[in-house]
Amino acid sequence: MTRTGLTRMTKIEVVVSGQDAAAVRELVSAVGATGWTGLSGVSGLGHNGRRQGRLLFNTQATLEMLITVVSDDKVDALLAGLRPLLDESSGVMFVSETYVSRPEYFT
Amino acid sequence: MTSTTSMTGTTSTRTAVPAATDPARAARRARLRTDVSLAGRVLATSWPLETFIAVNPLSGLEDRPFDEAVRVAGEVLGARGTLSLAELRAHHTTGRITDTDLRRALGLRFPDLAEPAGAAGAALILGDTQVSALDVLLADLRHGVALPPPSRAVLTRAEAVPAVAAAVDSQTTKWCAAYLDAGQAGWAMPGSEPGSERGLYAAWRALAPRDRSLPRQVRRALAALPARADDALLDALDRLRVGADEQRVQLRAELTRLPGWAAHVRWRSENGSGVDLVDYLALRMTYASLLLAPGTAPQPAPPSTPHPPSTPQQPSAADRARSLADRLALGPHAPEQLAALTVALERLPASDRPLVWLEAFEGHYRDGLLARLAGQPVPSTGGRPRARAQLVTCIDVRSEGLRRQLEAVGPYETLGFAGFFAVAISFTDLAGGAPCSLCPVLLKPRNEVAERPAPGRQDAAERRLSGLGAMAGAEESFHSAKDDAAGPFALAEGVGWFAGPVAAAKTVLAGPYGRARHRLQRAVAPPAETELSALDGFTPEDRAQFAQVALTMMGLTSGFARLVVLCGHGSTTENNPYGSSLDCGACGGSRGGPNARTAVALLNDTDVRQHLAGVGIEVPADTWFLAGEHDTATDRVLLLDRHLVPPSHHSELDALSRDLEQAGSALAAERCADLPGARPSSSAQRAARHVQARSTDWAQTYPEWGLAGNAAFVVGPRSMTAGLDLGRRAFLHSYEAHVDPDGGSLETILTAPLVVAQWISCQYYFSSVDPHRFGSGSKTIHNVVGGIGVLAGQDGDLRLGLPWQSVGVGDRLVHEPVRLLAVVQAPLDRIEAIVARNPVLQRLFGGSWVALAARENADDPWQRLGDHGWQPWSEPEGTA
Repeated sequence: MTRTGLTRMTKIEVVVSGQDAAAVRELVSAVGATGWTGLSGVSGLGHNGRRQGRLLFNTQATLEMLITVVSDDKVDALLAGLRPLLDESSGVMFVSETYVSRPEYFT
Repeated sequence: MTSTTSMTGTTSTRTAVPAATDPARAARRARLRTDVSLAGRVLATSWPLETFIAVNPLSGLEDRPFDEAVRVAGEVLGARGTLSLAELRAHHTTGRITDTDLRRALGLRFPDLAEPAGAAGAALILGDTQVSALDVLLADLRHGVALPPPSRAVLTRAEAVPAVAAAVDSQTTKWCAAYLDAGQAGWAMPGSEPGSERGLYAAWRALAPRDRSLPRQVRRALAALPARADDALLDALDRLRVGADEQRVQLRAELTRLPGWAAHVRWRSENGSGVDLVDYLALRMTYASLLLAPGTAPQPAPPSTPHPPSTPQQPSAADRARSLADRLALGPHAPEQLAALTVALERLPASDRPLVWLEAFEGHYRDGLLARLAGQPVPSTGGRPRARAQLVTCIDVRSEGLRRQLEAVGPYETLGFAGFFAVAISFTDLAGGAPCSLCPVLLKPRNEVAERPAPGRQDAAERRLSGLGAMAGAEESFHSAKDDAAGPFALAEGVGWFAGPVAAAKTVLAGPYGRARHRLQRAVAPPAETELSALDGFTPEDRAQFAQVALTMMGLTSGFARLVVLCGHGSTTENNPYGSSLDCGACGGSRGGPNARTAVALLNDTDVRQHLAGVGIEVPADTWFLAGEHDTATDRVLLLDRHLVPPSHHSELDALSRDLEQAGSALAAERCADLPGARPSSSAQRAARHVQARSTDWAQTYPEWGLAGNAAFVVGPRSMTAGLDLGRRAFLHSYEAHVDPDGGSLETILTAPLVVAQWISCQYYFSSVDPHRFGSGSKTIHNVVGGIGVLAGQDGDLRLGLPWQSVGVGDRLVHEPVRLLAVVQAPLDRIEAIVARNPVLQRLFGGSWVALAARENADDPWQRLGDHGWQPWSEPEGTA
């Protein structure tokens, strides 16, 4: 798939518990990604059953989704860190191609 | 980075870290960082002393069942997860745990052995004696040979050479104490100043090569360290010959060598203060690798293979059978008799015996509590007379005593609610300075609130601020003179004549001295009437939502009294580094007065009242919400902002003040029966004077018992517990199921206040069962370091957990280390649905961190929630 005038990059989305989100954010920064987007209070249904969304007085017990976009040279390093983390935690990771209009924001 | 965000989303774009040029190296760094994160899960998070937060020291293992978590803690931390068998058996001797309790615990664990005996519980013939399998297990529990205490199964490389291990620990303590100092040191370590972005590793790397106590080749190697902490750590791992497969295990061993420092570094890393566990490990393992290198190590370098596990071997069931036969004097035992004993004992591994004792210990208390609650009269459905006033206290176990005593004084109603009263605020007091987060650590503050002079009281406020400034200046000058190189001599000459008698008065006449000092402080900085910017800090929507949520959660949606007091709490103590552990946990380890003041300001707001009426909560026009604060050290309740109370309510206010004083004195007398050194008082007034003096005594290591004894968390109407003396052992959260049809309030109670109560319960539990590993030991040898924690003596690890004086006296435990029992009165299907959609509750209940007993109505029998749904409380799983 091509997108005229856009630059291909890799998008990595990770859904983990609020307690593990800090480790993911730290990892994303450590491999040189320039940013991330976080969505807290994520709800859903998956391998471990139903997960409640936002809780009124507890932001640690809910799931958080972290999204980052990186250039190809950083993907393997990031995956090398994320995979063992997810081996030991409940959570999911999605890796996909994406296209951006301003690549300098991501490198 | 472009992104979409939701209401709760955040986007970060920060300065890029230089990208790795070598992909393999970059991947190794990333893998290392993850291994450090995973290895660090065994650590608690250790807050600094000024905001001491009770946490479960095994919170990183909460995704495992309790039994497994304590086993892992034994292997990794060398810590004990239950009382020792000797301690548990001593409870049997005193009758606190009975044979009936033990039999019941065994029956719950092994339903097929439950009496009357099933097939597996059939009688064994041992010589002339006939016993059941349950009898055999019971005898083993009571008389079986105990296992040695646990020890860490994997050691660090440096621990093979004790001198090197000691040197690494000493360097760790030295640099961590210097870097992590929170303003106590006279000179800050370069690079550790607030706002510095260098981080621990960079600051240490710049200074460590100048350490003349190290061999020259070590200093030379330190001078050549890489700029990145992760690279330094990888290099150290290579020098120590730690392979990829062993990496995480070795990192964990390194973290658990001094778990106190590591736990505090973990807290600092989560609060963005320029230090993380990679920095910490780089420092430690660099020293270890360099000091173990040929030519520098005091002894030969250690082998590259892991050290053999030091976990004690479990005795076989056959060994236990022989020992038991001897103990029971069964006489010459034939092989078939020993075989029968062995088969019976194989059911229960020796390492599980303390867990059965724990279940018996808990069962005794839980069964008794549930029986008392079941014996309460079922409340009538008719209307009730309007209460003289209503007092809403924190759920803290200490409030149970205050509520009970106040209800005994007159026709008062009391309720329980999390002490932050549903307002998560960042608070700045009249004196200004850094704002304080007043909310559970499960949350971040959502609203900013400041204290300001009440209208027309600007002059009084300025006088107070001037007085506070003068006192702070005098104190700072005194401490500066003490810390200065030459100042102490001049200080001793100048004020020594005065300071000596003052110190003597503080020690010998703590009560009069405290009162005199209080009067002096009031004279220098007289109190000024103030108000909070509560309405400014909340949008109209936030105010309305807060009021509806708070009142619904506590079940107070009708029957309002003319005065409704929201009563926070705090503890006044002297010379007590652990003072914040006695304050309100729901307010982040601070006093709860500001939260109560904020909440009542919102509840008295006309627009809020209109909104409440719109959703069916009619608060009468003559109802006034008032803030209060219970001092748990003195049992005095201070009613706050009395100047805001309308004149029409002054007579009730005066009566309430008198009754609170009477209730507080009665509670003080009750507490004096348990406080070390306090004489059971002949009068409540004398007891009140005693606890008042105690709170100002700078030598008092037992100002109060805090939450010692906590064991249950009751969710339901006050009618469940009214009139019962629960011994200040139960958190009480008000809840009325009929005003919460969708279960939203119950879900909030179970996922927040219950979680905080469980942290507190676990903090007290583990500080009791292993006071040296999970607790901080005796206060009498504590040295405060950096304002962040304490050392026992002058060196070593930062101590975790509660001091011994929070859980025991002499060599006797006062706190009973039992896990929390949650008691809920609500529709069972509602509870089950809430648990099903909240993994945190599945872990707590499913993993036996918390037990759950529930009933839908007051006249229903108690049920427990197991893997197969609800079943009667007293029956084992799967037998219903």
